[in-house]
Amino acid sequence: MLTLDGVDVSIAGTRVLRGVSFSIAEGARVALVGRNGAGKTTTFRAIMGLVPMTAGRIGFDNADLARVPAHRRTAIGIGYAPEERKLFPTFTVEENLRLPAEVLKLPRDEIGRRLEKAYAILPEVKDFADRKAGGLSGGQGKMVALGRALMVGTRLVLLDEPFQGLAPALAKRYGEALLRLRKAEPGLAVLISESNPDLLKPMVDTAFLIERGEVRPTAL
Amino acid sequence: MTLLLLLAVLDGLAYAALVFMVAVGLTLVFGVLRVLNVAHGSFFAIGAYVAATLGTAAAATAAAPVLALPVLLIAAILVGGVLGPLVEKLLLSRIYVKDHVLQLLVTFALFMILEDVQKLIWGVQPIFQDAAVKALGPVEVGDIVYTRYQLFLLPGVAATTLVGLMWFLRRTLTGRVIVAVTQDREAATAMGIDAQRVYLLTFTFGTMLAALGGALASPTSSLVPGVGVNMIVLSFAVVATAGLGQIEGAALTALLIGLGRSVAVYFAPEFEVVIPYIIMVLVLLVRPYGIFGSPELRRV
Repeated sequence: MLTLDGVDVSIAGTRVLRGVSFSIAEGARVALVGRNGAGKTTTFRAIMGLVPMTAGRIGFDNADLARVPAHRRTAIGIGYAPEERKLFPTFTVEENLRLPAEVLKLPRDEIGRRLEKAYAILPEVKDFADRKAGGLSGGQGKMVALGRALMVGTRLVLLDEPFQGLAPALAKRYGEALLRLRKAEPGLAVLISESNPDLLKPMVDTAFLIERGEVRPTAL
Repeated sequence: MTLLLLLAVLDGLAYAALVFMVAVGLTLVFGVLRVLNVAHGSFFAIGAYVAATLGTAAAATAAAPVLALPVLLIAAILVGGVLGPLVEKLLLSRIYVKDHVLQLLVTFALFMILEDVQKLIWGVQPIFQDAAVKALGPVEVGDIVYTRYQLFLLPGVAATTLVGLMWFLRRTLTGRVIVAVTQDREAATAMGIDAQRVYLLTFTFGTMLAALGGALASPTSSLVPGVGVNMIVLSFAVVATAGLGQIEGAALTALLIGLGRSVAVYFAPEFEVVIPYIIMVLVLLVRPYGIFGSPELRRV
């Protein structure tokens, strides 16, 4: 479904990604493991079209993603939860969740259905749905970012370092939410980046190691 | 004394309304595009000139009294609808990622070019067209005979713009999309928002607001070359005092500066020009990011 083939990305003259190649099949749970600065976030941003590639190709269902503008990637079913959450602080949690679906002009009942699905996977988010996103804790923000990605990520969800900075209890709850997601959406592919691979063991099937911008398969 | 104070308040309200119309467009454009647009003053001036030209043409027709007010709005829509997309597409879209100093220089260059374009089209002689003021007639406020146009229409349009804009940004999807781009362009793009389209829409709307300010100002004073300079400098003072990107703040600050300037006109005329800047300097000394602004965190 998603194939990266020889992807190169340079930022401010530095080659951050060097010929990154890997693929993710439909419904696969894949980990991208690496230390800080290895290129995990840049890989995600390249898939989302937020950073230009200098070489290589990213394919999605055999289509070249270079031809899909960054803002149209949600329309083909890719959801993204950035490492820094990037919620809109003046919006309520529910407004944050709804926004990407509303931008896609989905029917109202479809948005409602997706919202309920997100709440079923992340029940505690419903408890603070009316709160402004700017007032959430880091952990709550991570949950909301996952929920927001699920509102449009019907084929693939990219979770960039979701466990980064989470307290152990919260990390456990986040992990449980991912297991619920696996049960509820077996056809949904998930790519998770993490610097600590031990956290991902029960949640993923395969893993890739990224080091200094180069990717190779690894065992968890 | 009381009469003078009342006059100062009435003039201050009308003037504040005009300053707000221009300042709110400037602060909206800065909030979304992060470009401080010096040419915003030119849009004010061109809006005023186009309104005066249309007003003069309308005055020669049988429907003159009916057309006197609508032509002001038509002028704003025309100027904003034509100049906004033209400038955004041909100029600004090429400099979004450039340094702020370069952006400032480019918009200043555009301002200089548009100043000369105004002289080429409308000449350097004063132009005066007050059909809109006459259409609404006078009104008595205490012992003062004032114009309904300045007493009701100008503050009314400014208040409607403020309330309408706040409603639009908070309650509509397009408004929320604009706010999302303002808060984080990359996150907004990742959520499916076409930021380029939002930039175009916002800039066009901001241009329309400046042109509407000019159109509304045109029946109250003679139009001469350089009319846009005064307004853009004053608008910068309002926006800086309120805090960049602060819409409600711009309204309150415009009121403060408008009233301050007006009181100076009647009681200390030698301070008329400097009073807005004295207010700005005093505020910025205490709050460098403006009354309603907050410091922006930057990664170093």
